[in-house]
Amino acid sequence: MKVSLNFVKKFVDLDGLDVNEIARRFTFAGVEVESIETLASGTNLVVGEVLTCENMPDSDHLHLTTVNAGAKYGVLHIVCGAPNVRKGLKVIVATDGAKLPGGTIKKGKIRGHDSEGMLCSLLELGVDAKYLSDYQKAGIEELPVDSVVGDENVLGLLGLDDVIIDLKLLANRSDLYSILNVAKEMKTLFGKEVILPSPKVNINLNEEVPVSSLTDKCPQFSSRLIKGIHVKESPKWMQDLLRSSGIRSINNIVDIGNYVMLVTGQPLHMYDLDKLPKKELVVRDDIEGDFVALDEKTYKLQKGDISITSNGKVMCLGGVMGSLECAVDEKTKNVVIEAANFDYASIRRTSIRLNLSSDSSQRFVKGINPNQYEFVMDLTAELISELCEAKEVGKTVTYLKDKYSPKVIECCFKEINDRLGTSFSNEDIVKALEAAFIKVDVKGDKFSALIPDSRIDIGGACDLSEEVIRILGFEHVKSELPMMQLSVGGLGEDLAHKREVRNYLRGIGLDEVVNYSLMREAEVKDFAILNKDEAYNVMNPLTDEHEYVRTNLLPSLMNDLIYNLNHKNENLAFFEVSDLFSKENNKHIHLGIVLSGNDERHEALKGDEYNYYHMKGIVDALLKLFGIEDKRARLEAANVNEFHPGRSAILKLDGKVAAVFGELHPVTKKKYHLEKVNVVALEMDLGVLFGVKVGAKKMAAISRFPSVKRDFALVLQDKVTSSEVVNEIKKINRELINDVKVFDVYRGEHIKPGFYSLAISVYLGSLEKTLNEQEVNALETSIVNTLVSKFGAELRK
Amino acid sequence: MANVFEKVGEIKERIIKAINDAKDLNALKLVQETELNKKSEFNGLMSHIRELLGEEKVKFGQMMNEARSAIQAALAKKDEELNNKLIEQKLASEKIDITLPGYNFKVGGINPFQLIIDEITDIFVSMGYEVKEGPDVETDYFNFERMNIPANHPAREMQDSFYITPTTLLRTHTSPAQAHAMDEKSGQPIKIICPGKCFRRDDDDVTHSHQFGQVEGLVVGKGINFGNLKATLELFLRKMFGEKREVRFRGSYFPFTEPSVEVDISCMECHGKGCPTCKGTGFIEILGAGMVHPNVLKMSGYDPNEYSGFAFGVGIERVAMLRYGVDDIRKFYQNDVRFIEQFTRK
Repeated sequence: MKVSLNFVKKFVDLDGLDVNEIARRFTFAGVEVESIETLASGTNLVVGEVLTCENMPDSDHLHLTTVNAGAKYGVLHIVCGAPNVRKGLKVIVATDGAKLPGGTIKKGKIRGHDSEGMLCSLLELGVDAKYLSDYQKAGIEELPVDSVVGDENVLGLLGLDDVIIDLKLLANRSDLYSILNVAKEMKTLFGKEVILPSPKVNINLNEEVPVSSLTDKCPQFSSRLIKGIHVKESPKWMQDLLRSSGIRSINNIVDIGNYVMLVTGQPLHMYDLDKLPKKELVVRDDIEGDFVALDEKTYKLQKGDISITSNGKVMCLGGVMGSLECAVDEKTKNVVIEAANFDYASIRRTSIRLNLSSDSSQRFVKGINPNQYEFVMDLTAELISELCEAKEVGKTVTYLKDKYSPKVIECCFKEINDRLGTSFSNEDIVKALEAAFIKVDVKGDKFSALIPDSRIDIGGACDLSEEVIRILGFEHVKSELPMMQLSVGGLGEDLAHKREVRNYLRGIGLDEVVNYSLMREAEVKDFAILNKDEAYNVMNPLTDEHEYVRTNLLPSLMNDLIYNLNHKNENLAFFEVSDLFSKENNKHIHLGIVLSGNDERHEALKGDEYNYYHMKGIVDALLKLFGIEDKRARLEAANVNEFHPGRSAILKLDGKVAAVFGELHPVTKKKYHLEKVNVVALEMDLGVLFGVKVGAKKMAAISRFPSVKRDFALVLQDKVTSSEVVNEIKKINRELINDVKVFDVYRGEHIKPGFYSLAISVYLGSLEKTLNEQEVNALETSIVNTLVSKFGAELRK
Repeated sequence: MANVFEKVGEIKERIIKAINDAKDLNALKLVQETELNKKSEFNGLMSHIRELLGEEKVKFGQMMNEARSAIQAALAKKDEELNNKLIEQKLASEKIDITLPGYNFKVGGINPFQLIIDEITDIFVSMGYEVKEGPDVETDYFNFERMNIPANHPAREMQDSFYITPTTLLRTHTSPAQAHAMDEKSGQPIKIICPGKCFRRDDDDVTHSHQFGQVEGLVVGKGINFGNLKATLELFLRKMFGEKREVRFRGSYFPFTEPSVEVDISCMECHGKGCPTCKGTGFIEILGAGMVHPNVLKMSGYDPNEYSGFAFGVGIERVAMLRYGVDDIRKFYQNDVRFIEQFTRK
């Protein structure tokens, strides 16, 4: 809401108040001032008169002028390019050193001719082009002939000395869409006296336009008939105030409507009585069909739209815009004024559907003072009588759905202080509330507060406490931490576990990313391996890029991978942990990891290209981190389209699918244009990992006696897995075989196709004694025998 | 036979000199081999003992012993000296440039969005708050109705939210966590925060994002007042942004709190003097807060005559942008590792 301080000054004395101080107090009191603007600016300006004006000989548009700039500046030689400059014209002269919005004016030579200043247009003083006529925009400003040469108050003369404060009004302060209420706020915050207009109307017309409503969306509707008006230009003071408020002057009758709306916040509508089909106005919400509005555009009305009708024809789209048919114009003689209140939700729906918004609809949507229509009608009638020289003024006729009753809130003083944590005296509280035009009736410890009609936001005691503190200041609140019963706080189990996973992964050098939850339909179907739930989709997406709520993380991580590769970031290792939501309404906690390029997480190990085993190592580590023993975990070939069939796995924990991971399938890589890089990916359901119940931890005994290591090199058929071999060896003697480790896998030369070489170390030892050679040899023999008989292993020498 | 005695002195002096003159361990070994073998001149002197009698014999024996000890001592001393020299030479040859970079063990970077969430969470956990993560997909009942935003309220315009069905949507703020917490605690005191993702139907640009993060806080108990909110936020903001931060409260409006405030902190760039970061005002708007509206308490089964509470909401990206000077909100969701890897901790 742009508020002209000149406008506000009509109703309150602002002498001695600095605009910055106004902005500061308003802002702290919950009415943020977003900016302070001036309509126009300029220093060293003076009213001058063109004494001589000749065309410059070698130019097609420049003029050589002499200008009388008054006693202080004397007669100046000025080169001027405006087409309308001529002898005798009163002009705005920017003299040497003048600071204008576009820069500083300096004496100089233009094409060899002295120029000691500039003759200005209003554009050059910074006035917005929308307030200027084409003639004004094309040339310099022509001042009234009676302007006094040498007058330095040029901006004041033009009514451009106004300061505009732009209020960022929140939903609770719709009352401040009224200049009068802004003036009242000045009293509330600065104690300034407000002079409220008291319009005097001489009713001399015994004729009326009856009003009624056929819908409950209209709590109040008033009309007033005024006859014999003269439509013409508005007086300058009104034009200036409208311009300062961002509204263009049209003619006196339209301007009065806008002026009264600005002053009171009550939108008005004016009908040309002689264009109404019937002398009646009926509010309805059951009309459908085309409607031609004032802006000459046709809109389709639906049932539910509030319309003001006359003889069944729509004359106005209630609260939004009038019809072209009965609009007032220069020829209008008799007007019907409407001041009404409508259901804000309906107005909003209509306004949004038709993409049609006006100063009126904006005020209705925010909510208006429901009980000032009599005052508004009188103010309007007074202005029309005066400025349009109206001959006959009728009385206001009103339809009221329900009788209006003012709000009274019962409250006690303690309640206010208790809510705020303050110790204001009863007198302080009463004073603050009364400053806000709330009438307080004190009854001992309690009081009743009569709320002004304009403050539709105040509904209870808590609102009164807000009034008190915003007026008296938040610095009066005593800072004191809450006194509460002690309770156990904390992250909660899932969040704590997520932290552990995230901290570990960053610790081993993976970057943590965060992605959008919304993605394309096609993306949500990619990598839908672990979570196959149906994805939510948004009814009203902004773009198809953000339409579906993701159910797995890998599609997002693939996008991150592509983004980074496109930006020449190579050798990547990153992850995301996020909660995921699907139509089945299950919350899934997922971890996604992508590895690509070389493992550069440890410089000493540099150069190794990421493969399946890097990811498996991370999976093993996560199981270890959560204390999950190997025997609870099972790996199966993944056999899913997205992954390399021979280099991917599904991890099951206690039989539940917990993760899928591995190298990407060439077809998947091609789809993402990743043919040139190696990509290893993982999607894990952390819920499964966190859900594995792990028993109480017990220390395993450590032998006092030395252990023995025996290495075996075996040739095995490809179908035999290393884990089968390891598990089988362990089974031979759980007491004496302490550990089995794979240290080399080899395929190629010297090994026949379909076979591979596996090198393992077996650690032997006893808790009771040092094993002697016979015992070691016996174990070695049984290991070899088992391997040969179970797997057909061949021992390599 | 004085010359025998003299001879011992002479030879001893000669051997010790040879020892001391030895340039390296090989030279020393050579001295040892030539001068101290069984047939060496020095060992040959011992045969003169037979030519001496009585006291002379004893004296000669002692002299020989002393000479042998002196030689052995010189030898040991020289040996150590030469060995030390050798070690020093070896060490000198092994000298490296200690300023070269160490073998890098990479520390993973963290998206500062997540970093800020963790940090705020930890501060409130240290004050005894519970952390509750609400769902991203909410009913309009929880997202709006329970937050005192009734049907027909402008904030409920379809165009501002991503709707899944006419009655479910992606939550537009973390505030519904308040209602969930109150339902869960049914009448007991509450101290929670809820970090999470929120969604609004905004086109993405430098300052707008259709997805963003918030941390919601709620305290409900008997006798909770605005002063408690003020103290809590002052404590939090100073932990987060530094002990020297000034904290100020401005009146504001939210449907679910009354009174409502915007909270500003003195600018961390200019400390209140005014600079581009704070647009010359010296202060930066950091969060919204207020006393829980009695309607919200009532709808959640808490009697507003008995219980009161405060709530606050912090915008994650805003905090991260201010603290780290991030100039484009989209950077949080692009995940360029050159961005992520700049951050490892606060």
